[in-house]
This record gives sequence, C-alpha cells and structure tokens, in this order.
Amino acid sequence: MRPLTLQRLVLQCGLLALILFVVIVIALKLGAVPVSLYGLARDLVQALLGQTSGISSDYGLIIIDIRLPRILLGVLAGASLALAGTSFQALLRNPLADPYILGVSYGAAVGAMLASILEPHLSIPASVAALLTPLGAFLGAACTITVVYLLGRREGQIDSATLILGGVITGSFLSAVIMFLITTVTGRDMHGIAFWLMGDLSTPLQPSLRWFLGVGFLIAAVTIYTTASDLNLLLSGEKEAMHLGVDVDRVRIVVYVAASLLTALAVSVSGAIGYVGILVPHVMRLIYGSDHRVLLPTAAFGGAIAIVIADTLARTVVAPTELPVGAVTAIAGAPLFIYLLRRRAV
Amino acid sequence: MRIGRGPATVIGENAVSQTTLLCCSGMRLSREKARSGIAPWQLAWGFLLWNYFASRRRRVVNRVRLAGLLKRSAYAVAAAFLAIGALHAQASTTPAEPKPLREVTDETGRAVRIPQAIRRIVSLAPSVTETLYALGVQDRLVGDTDYCDFPQDARNKTKVGAILNPSIETIASLHPDVVFVTKINRLETVHALETLGIPSYATDPHTVDAILASTQRLAEILGVPDSGAAVTSDLRYRLTDLHQRLASQPVRRVLFVVWTEPLLSIGKDTFIADAIQHAGGVSVVDSSQSWPQVNLEEVVHLQPEFLIFTESHSQTSMPGIDALAQLPGWRILDAVRNRRYVTISDAVNRPAPRIVSAIEDLAHQLHPEAFVPGGAQHAAPQPGKIGAIEQDLVEESVCAR
Repeated sequence: MRPLTLQRLVLQCGLLALILFVVIVIALKLGAVPVSLYGLARDLVQALLGQTSGISSDYGLIIIDIRLPRILLGVLAGASLALAGTSFQALLRNPLADPYILGVSYGAAVGAMLASILEPHLSIPASVAALLTPLGAFLGAACTITVVYLLGRREGQIDSATLILGGVITGSFLSAVIMFLITTVTGRDMHGIAFWLMGDLSTPLQPSLRWFLGVGFLIAAVTIYTTASDLNLLLSGEKEAMHLGVDVDRVRIVVYVAASLLTALAVSVSGAIGYVGILVPHVMRLIYGSDHRVLLPTAAFGGAIAIVIADTLARTVVAPTELPVGAVTAIAGAPLFIYLLRRRAV
Repeated sequence: MRIGRGPATVIGENAVSQTTLLCCSGMRLSREKARSGIAPWQLAWGFLLWNYFASRRRRVVNRVRLAGLLKRSAYAVAAAFLAIGALHAQASTTPAEPKPLREVTDETGRAVRIPQAIRRIVSLAPSVTETLYALGVQDRLVGDTDYCDFPQDARNKTKVGAILNPSIETIASLHPDVVFVTKINRLETVHALETLGIPSYATDPHTVDAILASTQRLAEILGVPDSGAAVTSDLRYRLTDLHQRLASQPVRRVLFVVWTEPLLSIGKDTFIADAIQHAGGVSVVDSSQSWPQVNLEEVVHLQPEFLIFTESHSQTSMPGIDALAQLPGWRILDAVRNRRYVTISDAVNRPAPRIVSAIEDLAHQLHPEAFVPGGAQHAAPQPGKIGAIEQDLVEESVCAR
C-alpha cells in the first residue's frame, strides 16, 4: 500500500468532484423541458448569489426548484449507498456485501412503511412526524443488520457464505412482509409504494428534512471515515486486526450503526435502489486500490456520479414519462457486475 | 488559464443570445432585471479562483496528516458559508405575484388555494380531461397525460407523461393555475406539486350521482356553472328515462371483469358498481376493496348471469373471450355456456359524463326487451333533450364504437 499523501487524496477526490460537477451540470441541462446552456449558466450563478428575484420564473422554477433538489437528493442517496456498501464489504470481508443484498435496504423499507402507517394514528406535531419515516427506516436497517450479522456469525468469526445467505433470506422475508403490508394495511395508493420499492427520486424532500438528512449524512460519513485505517487492517481478518491493536468491537459497532444510518437515509429518500452499493465500491477499488482512506471518499463520489447519471437517464429516456431510477441502475448494473465477476475482479 | 475571465465571457454572450431566448418565453422584464448588479462580484470570484489556483501551484505538499486536512476543509466550508450568508443578506426577496386566490375544498377534503380565475389547466386523469371537454373549457387545458385519448382532440394537447409518473418539470413549464388529479394518481405527485406551489384539486366520485355532482362542482370552480348545469341536467334526464324503462325489469346479476389473469373485478364502493345498478344489473362481487382479486371458485359458486367486459382491453375482444371459454373453471360458468357476454365501451371505467352513454349501452344489452321495438344492441341511445356539447360527445362516442 502506497503511503497516503494529501496531494494524492486531493487530486483523486478533486478529479471525481470535477466529474461529479460536470455530470450535475449536464443533468441540470437535460430533462423533459429543454433548457439552453446559457439560461442554465445564468440561473445557476444567480442562485449561487442568492438573487432569486433575478431568475426567470420559467427556467428558475425548473432548474432550481425541480432539477437541482432532485439531483442533490440523488447525490445524497448515491454517496450513502456507496459508502454503506464499501464499509459493509470491508467489515464483513465479503465482496458481495451491499445494503441491498444483505437485506438492510428492505429492513429500512419495512421500517419506513411501518412509520408511515403509524404516523396518522399518533398525535404528534407535523415537524416531528416528518422525521418519523427516516427514523423508522434507520431502526429497520439497524435491526436487520444486527439479525443478519448474528445469522452470519459462526464460532466468533464471520462466515462469508452464511452471511450472504442470511442476508438474502432476510431480504426475501422482509419483502414478503412488505407485500403483506401493501395488500392489507394500505388504503392509500399502492402505485406510490411500488415505485418507491423500485427506487425513485421523483418525490421532492420536505424542506425541513433536507437539513436533517444532510447533517445525518455528514455525521455518518465522517464517522465511517475515522475508521478507514482500521478497516484496512480488518481486511486481513478480525483476529489479525485485533492483534494489530484494532478495537474490533468498537469499529464494528461504529461502522454498523453509521452504515445503517446511511442506508436508512438513502432508502427513506429514494426507496430501494440496487447495485450502486455493490458495484461502485468494486469499480473504485479497481481504479484506486483498497486503501479505505482513499476508497471511502472516492466511492462516495462514484456513487453520487452513478446515481445522478442513472436518474438523468430515468428522467429523459421516455420523457415526459419518468422511469424509476432503480430500474435504470439494475439494467445497467447487472451486466456490469457480471462482466466484473467473469474478469474475476470482484 | 485565465479563470478570472470566465464569468465575463458568459456575460458577454448575454446580449447576443438573449434575443433568441426571448422569442420562446415572455420573460423580458425578469431577464433584464437579471442582468443588473453582476459586475462587482465577477471580479471578486475571479480573484478568489485565481488566487486559489496560483497558491496551489506555489505550495509544495508532501505528507500531511488527516487532521490538518479536516481543519483546512472546515475553514474552507466556514468561509464559504460566511460568503453565501453575506450574499444572501444582500439579495432582495422575491416579490410574490399578486394573484387573487380563493380557498376551495376538493373531493378528498383537502383545502386548496387556487386563483380566482383559472385560465391554464393541467389534467392528470383521462376522466377529468373528458369532463373539461364536456364543459366546453378545453381551450384552458394546456396539458394532459398520455392516456387522455378522448375526445380525439385531447390527444393533441401537450403531454406531461403517464398517469403515475408524469414529468413534474413539464407540468411546471406549462404554468398551470391548477392541476386536476384523481385517486389514480400518486400522492407523491401531489406532494411534489405542492412543494412548487402549484395547487392541485382532486376529484373522487364513488357513484354516478357523485360524478354528476363533481362535474357541476368543477364547472362552478372554472366559472362556467351554466354549461355544468346543461350537461348534468341532460345526463339526469337520460338516467331518469332509463330508470323508468327498467323499473319493471328483473335485476341482472353480473360479473364485471376488469382483468382476467388474475381475475380482478370491482368492489361495491366504486362508481362502476353504481353504474351497473343504473343499467339494471348488480355486481355479484361484494367487496369493500376497489379492485378485488376474485377467486374463480367463488365466481362459479355465484354463477353470474352476464359477464361484462370493456373494449379497451385487448384480451376482452370477442376471440379473446372465446379462448377464455375453453379454460377450466370459466367453462363451467352458465354465462359462458349460454354465451351471455356483454362488451361495453371503456367509458364505463372513467368517472366522466360519458359514463351515462356506457350505462345506456349496458342497459340495452342487459335488457333488450325494455327497448322495444327492435331491441338492437347498437341502437343509438335515446337522446332526449341534449345540450350542444353533450350531443357532440354522444356522437363521438358512437363513432368510437
């Protein structure tokens, strides 16, 4: 492993940040309503300066109020899923680990659904009620990862195959629970939930939630990053890492909680988007190696880029009708995953 | 690389491309406002960017601890926040367009604030699109969905996408005063519109009477109560006429087939169930769900006298029904053995004024003896006193068949 220099880290993250920026600008430009590049540039500069009055209501509404929040939501979801995937893969020492495959996404979905079912029955102020869904998603995700971890543990060590099987089974059990909830409890539209389960970014976030989720993401991401060097050592095995002075139990709990939080954030805003959490870390590992101090931030950027591209496709391919973004990530992700698998890169 | 000149080039292009842009949207005032007050900050930004890149070139960094990195980025973030905050404080607030609003309660009980005069409408449901045409306000309809196919002219309106996943930005770009939705749309779409300050009004009729009331209410909201009254009074007249004709007829027990695989029918609380009752029938399915999945066993047990299919569904064209008749289960239904199928226009699926034509059609097929002489299935419905708009609708629906 090459020694990490700030220059290398900044260079690599900076390059990805630049790509992300370019992708975001392109995503802002593309959509069902044509927007000129010039109009886009002017409105962006205006918005950056807070001069909302100067923005023409036509483009301004579409770019600043519709596309930008949605793209930022995609950035948040993509970065969260990729970070969660990277840290699960390191912690469980399993290349297949990912919030979707481990069933954590489904756990978060069940939690979020239960919260939204319970919400009307609880007499709580609206500002608290808005937080209920992300909170439910987090509890669901945390419970699921605990169960899957216990299922996958044998004689004090994680057994790779058992863990993945445990995750798949838990996931399929939870998706059955979701089907049950849909058919019995929901008097409300099934369509919405169906879209949400496929992964969909078309629902804008309530303004009160934006800050909550943004801060939650930053806290979880920074927390995971503090364990980056421990995760590097953990790659050689839990016992080995312990001998090298890693407080394995602490790292495990910290990473599980933080990664569950990230999964819950992503699921509560966008539903269950597959393949980003598993593919992006692998691609980034191919490019940047497996030093988690570099891998974690680059994977976050990669996840954001992947989702923004996928969502732009989802918005434009059959415009003005929109596809769920999860369908796009699955269509693009599954063949790419098979390719990586056959190359034995995974 | 002269980064400092970046914004200047953009501004330079301003004058050139502005003229082309103005053609497509009438935003002259706000655009011209946008040009003022840009000069001071462009220099500031240019300086900052230049300074940053220049200092990066000069600095030689080898190994720096992460703590240092974090501290630095914290400074940067703080500085950025301060800058944005200061700029925000300078920025003037948007003066809201003074548009006289009024509060109405929609059919789901939501209080909605809509403009006094509604000039631009987006409809997210085929039934609402039809109703707007029936009321003669189609000129105000600026956008509808891919599924809004009746009358023919509705196909030519700007499409905003499918019912479940329309493009919010296309809707916003049409600047609607109100968006009409129904329960077939997603709640998420309504929320998304709400966030953008676009009011949405939901219709949700569960009976034929409610469809008429809903039409009347829509007419009042749109400021055309007279055409609403004309449409609904004519429909009421036709329904009363139908009731008189069917008064002495036995009630037919029917199975309304929404879908065959799996077998889906209608619940008792739907406007379709009510429409069937208006046509002198009753649905054998007694479920409180809207679109219950029905067990074929139960259907065999209930033995409906007629099976009702709608035209929209390719599976339910006559050859499709013949194929269905070969299947076990279906084979032993009396209605299948006696070939007592009824196919009616898909207007029955839409809670719009045209449903009365579908009801008349169904009544003709269920009770041909009530419409002697002849009792032909394709006889035109008794028109009664029909308003000009409704007359058009009936003609078009007859043509469609």
